[in-house]
Amino acid sequence: MRVHVVEDDDGVSDSLNLILGNLGHEVVMHRDAESLFRGVPPAGSDAVIVDLSLPGISGAQAVRWLLGLASPPRVVVISGQSQSAIDHQMRGLHPAWLVRKPLDVETLTRALPME
Amino acid sequence: MKDIQSDSSEIGPPTVSEARLLSVLDTAADGIIVIDEAARILVFNKACEAMFGLPAADVLGENVKIVMPTEYAVEHDSYISNYIGTGVKKIIGIGREVRGRHSDGTIFPLELSVGEAQTPAGRQFIGILRDLRPRKESEQRLAELQSELVHLARVSAIDEMGAAIAHELNQPLTALLLYLQAVRRAHARGIDINAQVGDILDKAAGEAERAGHIIQRMRQFVEKREPERHLRQLDPLIDDAIDLTLLGQRHRIRIDREPAPVLPPVMVDPVQIQQIVVNLVRNAIEAATQCGNGNEPAIRIVTRRTGADVRLDVHDNGPGIAPEALPKLFQAFASSKRRGMGLGLAISRTIAQNHGGDLTVDPGGNGSGACFSLVLPAAPDTMANQAGEGSV
Repeated sequence: MRVHVVEDDDGVSDSLNLILGNLGHEVVMHRDAESLFRGVPPAGSDAVIVDLSLPGISGAQAVRWLLGLASPPRVVVISGQSQSAIDHQMRGLHPAWLVRKPLDVETLTRALPME
Repeated sequence: MKDIQSDSSEIGPPTVSEARLLSVLDTAADGIIVIDEAARILVFNKACEAMFGLPAADVLGENVKIVMPTEYAVEHDSYISNYIGTGVKKIIGIGREVRGRHSDGTIFPLELSVGEAQTPAGRQFIGILRDLRPRKESEQRLAELQSELVHLARVSAIDEMGAAIAHELNQPLTALLLYLQAVRRAHARGIDINAQVGDILDKAAGEAERAGHIIQRMRQFVEKREPERHLRQLDPLIDDAIDLTLLGQRHRIRIDREPAPVLPPVMVDPVQIQQIVVNLVRNAIEAATQCGNGNEPAIRIVTRRTGADVRLDVHDNGPGIAPEALPKLFQAFASSKRRGMGLGLAISRTIAQNHGGDLTVDPGGNGSGACFSLVLPAAPDTMANQAGEGSV
């Protein structure tokens, strides 16, 4: 599966890149939502991992945009914030998965099932 | 109480006015000692008996040195003869803090004021004494309480930033976990990752260190410690405090930092000064992000020298401070915020003033944000050289 990662933290994005590659995914990294928007929109068969706290355009806005695509990809939201902060930002949004950090490889494999 | 005159052999029964005077002296809450020109004790009232643990009967006629610690006692006769010789008043009519000696040897602080009277029997000196120990104790207690409160406010600040700091800790923990699991998976499947593993483990260790630094920075800030003074450069302290504040900040915000090219060092309690900075920067971020006037939220942090002072300005581009909020801005527990104890600015100003400086505000409004200014006196020049070497 092609997996886009929108994450501004260097350590988190680098380790995600490594583990997703290990899991056999094709990984496309984005530092922010702006760079995701500039590229080719994710296909319906892709997955997108979005960190909620992003610089500039917020993670929640990126999720809204992704879910609004004609053929929306599988959206996995990750966040290290408190549950109430997450709930507040995610009002009205229903991504496939929402994972709180720290996240591990098992959670990722469940969120991104191989065909 | 007994009273003797200089010529103590000729004591008769007290007259009515003498009896009245003696009663007044014994009723006084302060210690009262009257001596003659030869420093012999003529009057030693009841308060003195309690203060020094000596019955009047034992001290009347003795040199007043009997209630002084040795270092005063050796000089005292020369004080009196100097005054009688020169007429220069060193203590008479002025009063000062001295030390007394209790009969059990305890040396204790006293406030002493001395008056002078010309009597038919010669010149006499009247000393009024107040035991300063209760006042010293309450000053000490007050200082302790204040230090507790300053610490409490720091803990409270970290507490308020707790969720955001937890988020910040989750980043390196996530990365660490994923690096380790990547290695574990490869190992379990017999995949050869020898070429990569060193690099991955280095990165994992780096992430663990990053988590450690976050903890360390928080711990330095909240640990309870005695107030101290060190010669420091202000700018590095401020930069550290900004980093700490941003750790605990959910909002992304632009920070324009303008350090001074050259700044004299200051004599400060570093953690307390950082506490002020954390408080001001947090407030500024909050003000800037609530503006909603279309401006990109931003704060500007400037340090510069003004005369003999070093000055830190924290500007925000929020709506400014409402005129009605201004009178209570620096009062404890008067916060308009929903969260926190409302101690931040009150404590910050107290800390600034304890350092010989001050914390002031330009409230802004009408389109311009507020600006809080911390002013601290530059350390005296004689000490400036040490600070160049990083100081302790």
